[in-house]
Amino acid sequence: MSVFKDKEMAKELFGDLWNKMIKETEFGPKLKQSGITILFVVDDPDIVMYVDENGVLFDDEAKAKVPVVTMKMNGDMVHKYWLKKVNIPKALAMRQIKAKGPVNKVLQILPLLKPGQELYPQYCEKFGLPTNI
Amino acid sequence: MEYFDINMDLTAEDKAIRAAAREFASKVMRPISLELDRMTAEEVVADGSPLWEFFRKAYELDFHTILMPEFYGGQGLSPLQIHLVYEEFGWASFGLSVQLAVACFPAYCASMTADDELVDTFVKPFCECRDGSIRGCWGITEPEHGSDVIAVGEDYFSSPDLQGNLQVVQDGEEWVINGQKSAWVSGGTLATHALLHCQMDPSRGFAGNGLCIVPLDMEGVSRGKPLEKIGQRDLNQGEIYFDNVRIPRNWMIAEPDFYVPMLDMILASANLCMAAFSTGLARAALEESLTYTRQRVQGGKPLIKHYVMKQRIFDLFRRVETCRAVSRAAMNLNFNISPPHVEYSLWAKTQCTEMAFKNTHEAIQIWGANGLTKEYIAEKLFRDARATLIEDGNNETLARHGGHILGETYPRRPIDF
Repeated sequence: MSVFKDKEMAKELFGDLWNKMIKETEFGPKLKQSGITILFVVDDPDIVMYVDENGVLFDDEAKAKVPVVTMKMNGDMVHKYWLKKVNIPKALAMRQIKAKGPVNKVLQILPLLKPGQELYPQYCEKFGLPTNI
Repeated sequence: MEYFDINMDLTAEDKAIRAAAREFASKVMRPISLELDRMTAEEVVADGSPLWEFFRKAYELDFHTILMPEFYGGQGLSPLQIHLVYEEFGWASFGLSVQLAVACFPAYCASMTADDELVDTFVKPFCECRDGSIRGCWGITEPEHGSDVIAVGEDYFSSPDLQGNLQVVQDGEEWVINGQKSAWVSGGTLATHALLHCQMDPSRGFAGNGLCIVPLDMEGVSRGKPLEKIGQRDLNQGEIYFDNVRIPRNWMIAEPDFYVPMLDMILASANLCMAAFSTGLARAALEESLTYTRQRVQGGKPLIKHYVMKQRIFDLFRRVETCRAVSRAAMNLNFNISPPHVEYSLWAKTQCTEMAFKNTHEAIQIWGANGLTKEYIAEKLFRDARATLIEDGNNETLARHGGHILGETYPRRPIDF
């Protein structure tokens, strides 16, 4: 069972998190500068998120986009990533995270997302998600 | 001469990148490689050697960051653009191509972690380096272990009987490294940093290995003599010794629980580079042979006017185009997915090195007795190509590994996301 209660909860959390990252942190300008767009394909709960410099789109709207990089993982891996509890080389090597798109762009996403890792604990508190996993 | 590209979709940027690589390859790499080839292994790395000029110019032009993420100062090249550059480099010198590619290995693997300390210590300084003073090497083989270090499908790979020549043990918050790497470590005697494979849990054989990054100016590190060999003489290789070398815990970037798939990821990348360089080497054999056959007169007419030579030149050409098609396809796949489908990298490396070797072998036959002399480039291309059949895993071991992967994973599921 996923750490996220349901799809709606995850969409609310990530809609808010991505918008805050894009508008209020260095993530937005750096994402724009990099020219990278990202499609996250998440299992359990099943969500598709498309993120670019303008914001986040979900599900059918997201699927209609053509991203530079696509990343696929399950919901618990997403949660652990934002909590800085994922060893990225291990997750890639063990296929816990799968990516499609130029490898050097995939590696570029990891440092770009760091502002979100700083914000995420407050979302865990707000949505009652465990942080000690 | 600019070699025709069958790809009609190259952009202006692709062509500009290829032209810049071609300029560097023809005006810097090739002349320096020819000069280094005639020197002893000691002279190649001595003060005043043209090797240092090669490093300086390559770093000035940012060719050392080709594989690095743009965020840290890499060039952000597409897989096709990486191939375009590496083919030109391979055309100029296989040995110097390998030298430059391994220079980024420690920083490249550190960038995978996104660990702030590793990034600040290893990745950013490497990307910012413009004088060639930060140079990596890939320390994988050992005196008693050559291709068996990658034979993950063999029973012995995870046997406790397989004892590494380089062991690491934990001591508090540090790792302590003892042992040595083989004389075949590319860049071994001149590198400032190593991406080092080391045995952490001997009870699991090489499945108990780990992967760490080690600055080679640390106390306890010493080097052997530069290795003398028949080909790729411009590529420095030599032993590295470790005597109670201590590194912080986070410099160990892979431990036994995921060492094998991590090894596969690194091998897949390295083999793609080998395949692209081989395309350039195969092309060099074609271009040099074509030039020679147009100039050399036998029986009253240029060699190229002889029926048998036309056939031989065409055979060189078809192998170049096959190399290019194979290596580009594999690079386009495996530099666009993580983790890679390793068997395609193995396919590209084995196929392209064999075809490049065949081309250089045939080049000597085309040049006749002149091909055997040091006056012409054909014999150097042949010597360089011979090493590629063993380098980065001998082709037989790589083929067995590929067969192991096919047995374990096929049919591959489509990439459906």
